[in-house]
Amino acid sequence: MAEHTAGTAGARLSSQVDSLIRAAQRGDQDAFEQLVRVYDQSVLRQAMNLLRSPEEARDVYQEVFLKVFRNLHTFRFDCSFHTWLYRIVTNVCLDHLRKRIVRKEEPAVVETGEGRVDRTESFEEGSAHADPERKLWNRQLQERIEEGLQDLTPRERMVFEMRHYDGMRLRNIGEILGTTEDAAKNCLFRATQKMRSALGDFV
Amino acid sequence: MTCDLALKAIPLYFYGELTPSEEERVEQHMHECETCSRELERQRALGPALDRRRIEPSAGLLEECRADLMAAIQGGAGAEAPSANPWRLFLAALEHSFRGWARFRQPLGAVALLALGFFAARVTPIAPFVAPARVGPADQVFSTVRSVQPDNAGGVQIALDETHRRVISGRMDDQKIQRLLLTAAREDNPAVRVESVDLLKSQPASSEVRDALLNALAHDSNAGVRLKAVEGLKPLGSEPEVRKVLAQVLLSDDNAAVRMQVVDLLVEHRDDAIVGVLQNLMQKEDNSYVRLKSEKVLKEMNASIGTF
Repeated sequence: MAEHTAGTAGARLSSQVDSLIRAAQRGDQDAFEQLVRVYDQSVLRQAMNLLRSPEEARDVYQEVFLKVFRNLHTFRFDCSFHTWLYRIVTNVCLDHLRKRIVRKEEPAVVETGEGRVDRTESFEEGSAHADPERKLWNRQLQERIEEGLQDLTPRERMVFEMRHYDGMRLRNIGEILGTTEDAAKNCLFRATQKMRSALGDFV
Repeated sequence: MTCDLALKAIPLYFYGELTPSEEERVEQHMHECETCSRELERQRALGPALDRRRIEPSAGLLEECRADLMAAIQGGAGAEAPSANPWRLFLAALEHSFRGWARFRQPLGAVALLALGFFAARVTPIAPFVAPARVGPADQVFSTVRSVQPDNAGGVQIALDETHRRVISGRMDDQKIQRLLLTAAREDNPAVRVESVDLLKSQPASSEVRDALLNALAHDSNAGVRLKAVEGLKPLGSEPEVRKVLAQVLLSDDNAAVRMQVVDLLVEHRDDAIVGVLQNLMQKEDNSYVRLKSEKVLKEMNASIGTF
């Protein structure tokens, strides 16, 4: 029953999105804005988590939706809009990740919904009350995770992000990345192997 | 299943990406192999550790992104900010790409106001007031289907929202057009507000327009709208009421571009009150342009930089 309700809600959202796309393709700017609002929070969240920088996340947001704006007329409903949009999102994010590799930089402090957070402190659960040993352990675990993520190729990082954090299916991820489900599986396997080896005895 | 295959399947098993029969084979192997079973436990422990790294962008960042995007599409506020940072240059360069949307902007002081849904409803009761303005030959209707329900009699019930669009044209000096713009300056859609405030600023002599500009500057959530409002208030920079709002905004607005515009306007006309405002500002301002400007004015007025 719940599945049926979710299915109905999904179909309704999809039909609303289709109406918005058609109206936006006819030049309705308000419809375009509504369409952006359906997806923009998850796009910004993904950019923020991949790049750990509000400035870069903001750039990704603008690049993505300006590309959507300019190319929406080419969308022909031959795949889901989500897949079409995330092709743009992954391309823009991959570009930023590749530039990041060249620059070798990762900001230490990030702006979040809860204010500014130091990456190296974000793991300290209830930091005021945690005992020093636990704090040290958490800090080291955090550092290892960051190192592990640095070891991933931009493509592995994207697949890992979309599967682990966004809960997308590998079949869909393959479609978004223009590759096969098997290639996405291999990517995920390599990413988790690297992460587990970076974490060593921590997990 | 060999250990090699099982190890390769662990991440896919963890993420629920195996077929039921593959899952069963992995589980069977885990039951029999302690080494692989430990590996699966490690995979399971990795999940929560990674989850705690997740961050949520602030609501403010999301709003800023939305405002920037709509301003870019409108080709308005973003490009006219005083600083030429790379993003603004990028927007300026993009402006040429949005010729197709430029029809939303009306040159030569005429305006075509696109009013959607509830806005149209707001206009309808004052139809006699709108009557002299030219109304488009045909109303456009956009429908959004909310639900589709088959009924027992073999028919179907479709619930849909209809949005009617009307186009009203007139000149900027037309009082009726101004009234519509004043309403539009309070619309939910920030792009409509940017455009309305931009058009209203050509008529600052009207006290209603001045109040709308002050209200937009002090209270609008969109930085693009606030920037347009400061521009509109430029001819009124010596009026005490305007200066009061400018001083408040300078001390409270979180957008540096707005503060840069405001400080420029405020210091064009110098009075004693400005000293206290700038001294307070120096206590907390982190934008170097605003700091330098304030410091310079305080020095020129022989006032100390800080408060004691």
